[in-house]
Amino acid sequence: MDMLASLLHMTPAIFWMVVKVVIVFSAIMLLASVWTWVERRGSAMIQDRIGPNRAAIFGKIRIIGLAQLLADGIKFFFKEDLVPEEANKGLFWLAPFLAFVPALIGFAVIPFGKSFVSGGVTYYLSVLDPGNGMGLLYPLAIGGMAVYGVLLAAWSSNNKWSILGGMRAAAAMVSYEIGMSLAVVTIFMTTGGYDPAEVIRAQGHLPWAWNIVHQPLGFIVFFTCMFAETNRLPFDFAEGESEIVAGFNTEYGSMKFSLLALAEYSHLMTASALVATLYFGGWQVPFVQNPTVMLSVASFLLKMLFFAWVFVWIRWTLPRFRYDQLMHLGWKVMLPLSMANLVFHAWRMSQGH
Amino acid sequence: MGVIVKKVELGWLDRTYVWPVMKGMAITFGHFIRNLFTTTAKRYTIQYPDMKKEIPAGYRGLHELKRFEDGAIKCVACYMCQEACPARCISIEAEEFSDLNITQGFEEKRPAKFSIDMLRCIYCGMCEEACPKDAIWLRNDYEVAAYDRLSMKYGKWDLMNTYAEADGKDRITEDTTPTVPRRTIVM
Ligand code: SF4
Ligand code: SF4
Repeated sequence: MDMLASLLHMTPAIFWMVVKVVIVFSAIMLLASVWTWVERRGSAMIQDRIGPNRAAIFGKIRIIGLAQLLADGIKFFFKEDLVPEEANKGLFWLAPFLAFVPALIGFAVIPFGKSFVSGGVTYYLSVLDPGNGMGLLYPLAIGGMAVYGVLLAAWSSNNKWSILGGMRAAAAMVSYEIGMSLAVVTIFMTTGGYDPAEVIRAQGHLPWAWNIVHQPLGFIVFFTCMFAETNRLPFDFAEGESEIVAGFNTEYGSMKFSLLALAEYSHLMTASALVATLYFGGWQVPFVQNPTVMLSVASFLLKMLFFAWVFVWIRWTLPRFRYDQLMHLGWKVMLPLSMANLVFHAWRMSQGH
Repeated sequence: MGVIVKKVELGWLDRTYVWPVMKGMAITFGHFIRNLFTTTAKRYTIQYPDMKKEIPAGYRGLHELKRFEDGAIKCVACYMCQEACPARCISIEAEEFSDLNITQGFEEKRPAKFSIDMLRCIYCGMCEEACPKDAIWLRNDYEVAAYDRLSMKYGKWDLMNTYAEADGKDRITEDTTPTVPRRTIVM
């Protein structure tokens, strides 16, 4: 690794950083685009359909519909890029990026595997090394930024349906952010720190010591709020295609639309990684005290992809909530529940558990 | 008619959302698993160009103008179908012809032109019902499409040959001179 770094005229530290950034972010983007396929095929199976299976490379290689990804990408590239006449052009262009980037970079602090020592240097498997001072506050804050992209996309396209969708997204965001934060705060409190590495270490390798067992209520609140945050069914008020055409992305087409879609799936990946880290022991392998690095990465990926699948699964199980139900659930159920969760754990800690 | 709306009282378990959601997820997962282990050919979807639906008897698809065994057209140009057609898409021009071997002079009638505008046709089957000679049938071909409007206008020879391949008959492109008097032919 040092040799490679010196070949590229970089210090090993920077080289390692670049490698991590490239691998992590391209992996997430790849997973996100694959997840569009998983979503379509999975939903098809759930609904007794078949789903996209006809796209083929050279008219032959169908690879169970995966060629559809390529077909979609090529189609999006060659579509006409329309911008509405009355739209705020600058923001209209900027919005997909503002939706996409926060969805992606929230992943930066999450450790996706066990750290390892090589040549006297400890390599951490997370883009930002632990002890960076931001910890899990960072993905939460960045996650809050994601709604900005949606709102901006809605606002700049100067369309009534879009703005309705954007406003709904913003309102949903506000009502769910608090409950989610309180659920996370409970974890910080029981852990005694907010660094993801610390949260993972505190959970240990035994499944019954994970936060899901200690704080099932917190998990339910957090997971539900993640649905609202990633704007997915049953809380996809920003889109609401049966009510407000297609909501915030009504006016979007071609690559800009695909970027918005990719943002949604990247956000989903980040959200599932968060859930796995906070409640399911991150890269810890159940019942294995000292897993190898590869095993820990595999374990993390498995957990993350499982939750990403649950996101898809729930989407095709539940209908969309009504807007007032969303508000009711957010303010009158989720918030008090997470508050109760916090108070309960504070009491337990005061009792010396 | 009045409908009595039954209000369902939800128990506390249902009102937590969590339990009903899990039940729903169990159902969808059951479907997922079942479909995961069924080959695509066995699922409900009929993958159209590769697989085709079984067309029931009496289906009203593309028309056929029937012919006698010797290839002569059965239609006698009585205009009944044209009158019956609610979409007004049939247009017929009649002509006289002579089956010289049997009778002398022109005394039989048949369409010189017979056209159906398939873009207008609603496949109601009225023409079939109106026809006194059973000369026009609606059969099982539903793949009626073309790249331009003109080719959706089926003429007499198109209509005579619509099912020629399916039935293994020859395509005919001109009226045969009948050899037997029409009324003696059994259908
Ligand atoms: S099927 Fe109906 S609409 Fe079509 S030609 Fe016959 S009578 Fe006319
Ligand atoms: S198809 Fe039948 S109804 Fe129509 S003109 Fe010919 S004989 Fe008469």
